[in-house]
Amino acid sequence: MEIKSEIKIESEIAGKVWQISTGPGDQVAEDDPIVILESMKMEIPVVAPADGVIAEILVAVDEPVEEGQVVAVLNT
Amino acid sequence: MAGKQQMEETRSAQMQARAEIATARAALMDENRPDAVARQLRRAEMTARERIATLCDDGTFVESGALVRDRDGDHARTPADGVVTGTGQIDGRWVVIASQDFTVHGGSSGVLGSAKMQRATKLAKRDGLPLIFLLDGSGHRIQDGQDSRHFAHASGMFHDMARISGWVPVISAMMGAGFAGPTNYAGLSDFVIMVRGQSYMGMAGPELVKAGTGEEIDKQDLGGAHVQVDQHGLADLGVANEAEALQAIRTYLSFLPSNAGLQPPVQPARAPDAKAATRLPHLIPDESRKFYDVRKVIAGLADQDSIFELMPTFAANAVTAMARLDGRPVGFIANQAMRMAGTLNSPACEKIAHFVAVCDAFGLPLIYLVDVPGFLIGSGAERSLLGRRSAKLVFELGHATVPRISVVLRKGYGLGYYGMCGGRSFDADASLAWPSAEICAMSLYGAANVAYRKQILAADDPDAKRDELVQQMRDNISPLRAAEGYGVDDVIEPDETRDYLIRVLDRAPARRDNQMPPKFRAISPF
Repeated sequence: MEIKSEIKIESEIAGKVWQISTGPGDQVAEDDPIVILESMKMEIPVVAPADGVIAEILVAVDEPVEEGQVVAVLNT
Repeated sequence: MAGKQQMEETRSAQMQARAEIATARAALMDENRPDAVARQLRRAEMTARERIATLCDDGTFVESGALVRDRDGDHARTPADGVVTGTGQIDGRWVVIASQDFTVHGGSSGVLGSAKMQRATKLAKRDGLPLIFLLDGSGHRIQDGQDSRHFAHASGMFHDMARISGWVPVISAMMGAGFAGPTNYAGLSDFVIMVRGQSYMGMAGPELVKAGTGEEIDKQDLGGAHVQVDQHGLADLGVANEAEALQAIRTYLSFLPSNAGLQPPVQPARAPDAKAATRLPHLIPDESRKFYDVRKVIAGLADQDSIFELMPTFAANAVTAMARLDGRPVGFIANQAMRMAGTLNSPACEKIAHFVAVCDAFGLPLIYLVDVPGFLIGSGAERSLLGRRSAKLVFELGHATVPRISVVLRKGYGLGYYGMCGGRSFDADASLAWPSAEICAMSLYGAANVAYRKQILAADDPDAKRDELVQQMRDNISPLRAAEGYGVDDVIEPDETRDYLIRVLDRAPARRDNQMPPKFRAISPF
């Protein structure tokens, strides 16, 4: 696949990583959950902003994340 | 003899005048400006005139001011003084259009071009016609702007734009260059579109920014769609190409009347997409901590292929979409559980407030789909002035005179429930809840921590105690109890909802009486 751009995917909200739904090399579609956070007693997905392939997951389960923290890198 | 000679001289002079007019007119046309057209097509997809031809119904455009001539220029060098203006039809309805021509001094605003823009705006105001700007230019033309004999007059453009706001739809499509002047027009527009990778907008371009502040930044990072649409919400929609931008204008206008004195255009009714309608009853997860995509709820309720989402890439924790219900245009406002759990933050408040104002201005009933855990809290929320921005949300709804219906899908918590038109907060024509609704003043865990702090701390297993207390409270926040107390009109199933909405809107008058106390104007919180 020709890489057009590398998108750093940020968390929109502070929380804790509850589940990692994808891994490097996975093909994802726009709005697919990549990582699911737990915040405010809710499961909150961090979703793919575009179709692409996951290049890197930068967080681990149970790890706290800040608002704006990059949690994954997507190649489109 | 003398009379005949005079007649021939007169006829000759008239022929010469006609030839001059024909030459001047020919000089304006794209086919006679191959170099300028080639320059334009290296940086964009269409010329200023091609954009108008693509936007309008075939052969309907009537131009005004084609033959104006710049003080120092000629028709060939500054055709139409850099902006093509006139009226044309879109789907059989008249609109006013101004299309900037970047090939003429970079689309800058000259004395006559500015006069044409002002006249177009006045025409839209006087005749109640939508005003469309196809922007690809800059601010003042240096030669004209740096002359106080001209510049000191300023222009009545912004006065008129402020006055026509809410009277006629005002649309700006950013087709290319858009720093300064075009951004100022877009700032007063109801609906703004950007072409990704090709257009940019902002208060000033990179060169002026560098000269004025020393900041070095390229034009896309300063004002491209990925910042101005996706991150800042300055524009509503980022599209892939110019044809999509022009189509978006047609689609947007298809929901709106030409002016606020008319009713929105009704189209033949269509049932919702069959697949979306089938899955509607199963969309809300049994577990209240799970997420779902509220856009699928809208798809299950609205007429098939009628949904036009505005600002889809900005503040996605709130969804705002024009759509049709039984052929009638409506505005959907929904909390998006899959983004920030649907929490309302400042960008979401701005987005919803603007959408409510547009729908109310042009007579679109408001359909609220409520699943809101509350407003964002914390220092970041305070820095974003959420105290005021949340007020803007309720301010716009409080001024609305169109029918409004709220449906609580799941969480209706706190002020968020008010701001989403829950219960009797804004005299909804129908206030409804789905069986999955839970309606209360604050999150259950938050309430448990505050109200039962001592009990929780004293327990052997505080987490288990908190869960037990939350479960007890859950029984008190059911939709049945909400209906028993008459806070909602009824509890309905998802698959009953569309018919219920249609019947209520059929009954509700298009406008309520304005019951404002006597005053000259309201003061917006922002």
